[in-house]
Amino acid sequence: MPSQPVAEGREAVEREAEPGPAAPRRRTGPAAALRTPDALNAALLLVAAVLWLWALPGIDFRSIEEFGLLDRFPLAFYAALAVLTCGFVLTLRRAGTAPLWPATYCAAMLVALKAPPAILYDTVRYAWASKHDAIISRLLTEGTVHPGRELSGGMSAYDQWPGFFSLDAALVRAFGVDAAASFINWAPVALGLLTVPVLILVYRTFSDDWRLVWTGVWIFQLANWVGQDYLSPQGFSYLLYLTVFAVVVRHFVLPGSAGALRDRSALDPAAASVPPPTTTRQRAVAVLFLVPVIATINASHQLTPVMLCASLFALCLTRRYRNFGLLVTAGLIMLVWNLTMGRELFLDTLGTLREKAGDLLGNSRPGFAGDPTGPGPELVGSANVLMVLAVGGLAAAAVLLRRKLARSALPLVLAAAAPLPMFAVNDYGGEMIFRVYLFGLPGAAFFAAAALVPATGAASRAAKIARRTTAVALPVTLVALLAGFLPSYYGKEGMHYAPPGETALTRRAFDRAPEGALVLAATGAFADSYYRYDHYERWFFTEQEVDENLRMLKDPAGYLAGGIPAGRPAYVILTPTQGEAVIGEGYLPEGGFDTLREALKSSPLFAVVEEGPYGLVLRYRPTTGG
Amino acid sequence: MAHPRLTPRVQRRAALAASGWIALAATAFPGGSPLRWIPVLVFVVLAPGLALLLPQPFGLRPGARLEALALAAPVSLSVATLAATTLFLTKSFSLTVFLGVLALFVTVAALLPGVPLPAATRGAVERDGARSDSARGFPRFRKRRPGGGR
Repeated sequence: MPSQPVAEGREAVEREAEPGPAAPRRRTGPAAALRTPDALNAALLLVAAVLWLWALPGIDFRSIEEFGLLDRFPLAFYAALAVLTCGFVLTLRRAGTAPLWPATYCAAMLVALKAPPAILYDTVRYAWASKHDAIISRLLTEGTVHPGRELSGGMSAYDQWPGFFSLDAALVRAFGVDAAASFINWAPVALGLLTVPVLILVYRTFSDDWRLVWTGVWIFQLANWVGQDYLSPQGFSYLLYLTVFAVVVRHFVLPGSAGALRDRSALDPAAASVPPPTTTRQRAVAVLFLVPVIATINASHQLTPVMLCASLFALCLTRRYRNFGLLVTAGLIMLVWNLTMGRELFLDTLGTLREKAGDLLGNSRPGFAGDPTGPGPELVGSANVLMVLAVGGLAAAAVLLRRKLARSALPLVLAAAAPLPMFAVNDYGGEMIFRVYLFGLPGAAFFAAAALVPATGAASRAAKIARRTTAVALPVTLVALLAGFLPSYYGKEGMHYAPPGETALTRRAFDRAPEGALVLAATGAFADSYYRYDHYERWFFTEQEVDENLRMLKDPAGYLAGGIPAGRPAYVILTPTQGEAVIGEGYLPEGGFDTLREALKSSPLFAVVEEGPYGLVLRYRPTTGG
Repeated sequence: MAHPRLTPRVQRRAALAASGWIALAATAFPGGSPLRWIPVLVFVVLAPGLALLLPQPFGLRPGARLEALALAAPVSLSVATLAATTLFLTKSFSLTVFLGVLALFVTVAALLPGVPLPAATRGAVERDGARSDSARGFPRFRKRRPGGGR
């Protein structure tokens, strides 16, 4: 028997299994080893890595203009992403025998997409991440939380759900660093790397076809543009939510409930058999195992437990997963937390439910603001809509066309649809639409992948046409989703990156203000806006209806002076990042921020404390005007 | 007298049991040093979950390996979060107490039998059947357990 290079071992297994007339020609030596699929995969990965590393220093994040990082990424960066996409599609051909390759490409894509800010930025990326940094710093200073204490701007909610921040504070101490700021920008990469295995676990429960599983993971990564993956309770709770879901779909199948799904002919060729049923005792053990995870979700975030209960309830609608015990456990833990630690906000929210409930259109509106202005934010807006339509359209097509798969993967369909009724309840500060999308995404990504990866084996004419079409459609769609992800994730980067000079100016301004002062800013979406937040009150004065802002722009100084309580020391901080944010979020019309800035600067009601390229700080002087 | 054999499984349990104390010892290094944060991070993110899932009487079956790997991090982080939250709520947080509690938890859990999630033990039956088929890249039927699924 001729000798065979080790690298060809898996290849040979696959070739033996492949139908077809072409008998493999056996070759030996290094030249043959270079022609193996493994060598090709490694070569493409290497090319992508070289391009990416070469592009990295060229990402000009310090001079971001209206298109965010999109026109600041060098061509080599885009080339690296394109090579990774091509490489990934090629690895799918042997996804069943060499699953490590698509896994490596998925991890590489995650790092390629989300690591640049972590490596390059010298400040905390994203205003909300910086807010969380401030919360962690306060927790470390205080050594405890005060759930009953009233803090302005809804900040007491963070004391009532301190789980995630406690973990971060503990890590800050354990790493021996000054603040979470030193690792905060790595959160999207870390959360992504932890989420992917759980997602695979979920997808493998419903499909035996590794190509489908990996494509689903890939689409999930690209469609997860909503920016909830920063160091946040919701990003963390989302990972835990998926964990609970994974354990439920794998270990909570009721005996005798699978019915026709145990018959292989009733299943889609790509579908996995229903997991074996479990006894009451086994399910009870699994509930006990999940209690710490569910408790952590409840200790960390307000909305995720509601989404979890909605998903568990939706699963109870199927005969296969009718586990009221788990639903009741999750509901009880949520109720206990809401009535003890989270009592204040919970009762508050219940009070507003009456006015918000039923307002479907109002609750599904993203934010308070009008339409974003300027070519950059408009591009982002269009990309967001197209991404939702593309993923949703592909998923809907697969649910309709692969009904057998939809039937066996019904829990995924239900979990994707379960958050939808939330629109009827609350707007979650204008965030509800993004959260509903996020919780629907695992199911949507799976079925979008199912639309692009037809089952192998079927020999009908339609199946052949489908295979030929998707051979082209798959890479095209993945490139299109990549093209949609980049503007969605990096198109508003002007709002997310603040140079160190700007954060220093903000901190100086806060430090200068006396305890209890009112600090005004156009919006809270700038780094360090919540710096030492328990010492000041903040007023982000453009975060309201656009009509009101237009009224404000007619006489900004008078409008602000009218809102400052008598005798209260007040300061205004205006930074370039705020200028980006009010346009990006559509709070002010184009040029509105400059008008505001000039009007306040020239008004006798405000004195300039500090002015420079990083911003303007003003002090309110009520007596001068009078 | 018979000595317990240092099988890979015993070694794994011993490594897990020791990991927390190593992480605690690593905090003696200066703040921010990789010699400090890497062992601490690895311990907090993986050890509690692995200690709960890994020690199975007959080792993890193939179908459960991915599961243990995927669930280790979220479960570990949950345990760490609950420990940290309790310590902060009771105003008793200190680095030594936090890592000490986790190290103790991991040591005890590593010595006890793992959580008997069905896939770790019984679900492996069908995965064993699937393994030979999937090795050829073609998902096939799985063996049905006697009486299973009906």
